[in-house]
Amino acid sequence: MSYWIVQLLNAVQASMLLFLVAVGLGVVFGLMNVVNLAHGAFYAFGAYLGWTVLQATGSFPLAFLLAPALTGLPGLAVYALAVARMQRAGHLAQVIATLGLLFVSVEALRALWGDIPLEFPVPPALAGSVDILGTPYPVYRLSVVALGLAVAALLWLVLSRTIAGAMVRAAVDNVEMAAALGVRTGLLFPVVFVLGCALAGLGGVVAAPLLSVHPGMGVEVLVPALVVVVVGGLGSLQGTLVGALLVGLADTFGAVMGPQLSGAAVYALLAAVLVLRPGGLLPARS
Amino acid sequence: MFRLFDPLRTALALLLFGAGVLRALTGDVFALEILAETAVFAIAAMAFDLLAGFSRLVSMGHGLFVGTGAYVYAGLTVLGGLPPAAAAPAAVLGAGVAGLLVGLATVRTRDVFFLMATLAFGQMAHVFVLRSPALGGDDGLTGVPRPDLSALGVDLSDGRTFALAAVLLAALVYLLLGRLLASAFGRTLLAIGADEGRVRALGIGVARHRVAAAALSGAVAGLAGVLAACHAMYVSPGLFHWTFSGEVLTMALVGGVGSLVGPVLGAALVVELKYAVAAWTAHWGAVLGLFLVAAVWAGGDGIYGRIARAARALRRRLRPGPGGAHVRDGAGSA
Repeated sequence: MSYWIVQLLNAVQASMLLFLVAVGLGVVFGLMNVVNLAHGAFYAFGAYLGWTVLQATGSFPLAFLLAPALTGLPGLAVYALAVARMQRAGHLAQVIATLGLLFVSVEALRALWGDIPLEFPVPPALAGSVDILGTPYPVYRLSVVALGLAVAALLWLVLSRTIAGAMVRAAVDNVEMAAALGVRTGLLFPVVFVLGCALAGLGGVVAAPLLSVHPGMGVEVLVPALVVVVVGGLGSLQGTLVGALLVGLADTFGAVMGPQLSGAAVYALLAAVLVLRPGGLLPARS
Repeated sequence: MFRLFDPLRTALALLLFGAGVLRALTGDVFALEILAETAVFAIAAMAFDLLAGFSRLVSMGHGLFVGTGAYVYAGLTVLGGLPPAAAAPAAVLGAGVAGLLVGLATVRTRDVFFLMATLAFGQMAHVFVLRSPALGGDDGLTGVPRPDLSALGVDLSDGRTFALAAVLLAALVYLLLGRLLASAFGRTLLAIGADEGRVRALGIGVARHRVAAAALSGAVAGLAGVLAACHAMYVSPGLFHWTFSGEVLTMALVGGVGSLVGPVLGAALVVELKYAVAAWTAHWGAVLGLFLVAAVWAGGDGIYGRIARAARALRRRLRPGPGGAHVRDGAGSA
């Protein structure tokens, strides 16, 4: 019994990391109609920038706060150089160009920080473990779950209870109409894009103590994050959260069921959703 | 509309395949390796073009078909003890069936969703092969034989002969696919790419054509897989991985889809560049990435599209007759 609870917690924790990465990917897709495969790079940048801040200052809170903020800078550059220009270029061109940027980012990480994976220690304040029904479980992993849920709740509040959130929802629904009604999409788009990048960066730095920090991590997270977005449906927060939970559960329990299924379960989920509901489970636009 | 003997396309194809044959006859051992690899990617990229360039179905899962072709061939020869002459057609057929199944499963998806669905099926196959001890798992299968054509006086174990055969095979695929795409079938695929709803309204079976194109694309990619298995005499699960599919996609799009010759050009350029760059930097990924970005900034329809537009502009300038300025082919289809 306790074994299954630990696996369930692991699954939810993996889901929360996926959620942090996928939410930016999904909202850019839903809002700007841009497929940004370079989004995985921001996850990797977040982890590396967090590592550097930690080395420089020795402070975990600073590392966790500055990493997402600093990730916004390459985010802004990618927006200005590529995404803003490619909004009407069609998905094909976007896929090629942003895949190219992702490859460039991997090499940039290798050039800046080297090929060798970097160790990112668990913050001492969160290092212990707590008893859950008689089984010790790491506090850090629980904190990741709490952070993910807090971010989801905050995003939900902003989207559903503020004017800015209403603008985003309106623009997702019909961008021309929103612009005609006075929503400044020229300002809204970069702000949302950079926030999405910062959240991916947060996901990266939070994931760093759980994995090693290595140049390929952005590429590795990209495919599951895309699966989350497609399974959940484009541009909806609830969809992304549900998608992240389903993918996290499928991945964790697929691996538990048998090595043959590890990894395959996620793609089986995606294939099933695409065959049965080609628009995703909870799309923002019907 | 796709014309097989469009002058520009034919000139470029003759140039590329001619250069390939010349290189196979005169190149050193290293050049022969590059040539055989180029032929594998050229065939896979042409198979990709069949879906992406005509019906606008961009697949991120062509590694699935290449891998299926390679593994069926390797499995039947290494594990089953079948002669290559029987295994090769079976492998092409097997990859065609894989294409048929993926085509059926994805028949309702379009655009990015089609890309994601093909990615999903490719990754599922990758994990399956990776964890199948019977198929060698992570190690793959070694000792894959090449077909024995000594009855025809051809020795494929010789690197030069093999490279020449690979180039000729790619040229044959180009001719056969070109013939097919210039037919009513090819025009229907183009129409589906332009407006699926309108084609359906005309009473043409969209699903039927899409599935047929996917099966054919799978079979052709499977042939590339057989060639890859024969070339390396080894197969590995990496063929199924999405990064391999991404490489095929890159080559086809950089060269220019919808032209059939563009993917061949893209395969030749990217493989050539990969080895040239390896000589002076370990950051091949960055070069490939910048190449991709540049390809989009250059117009999005690839190098062939660029050349075709330049040629049209030149023709208009040379012959400013009545109506001459209005003669226009659809983008990427000339």
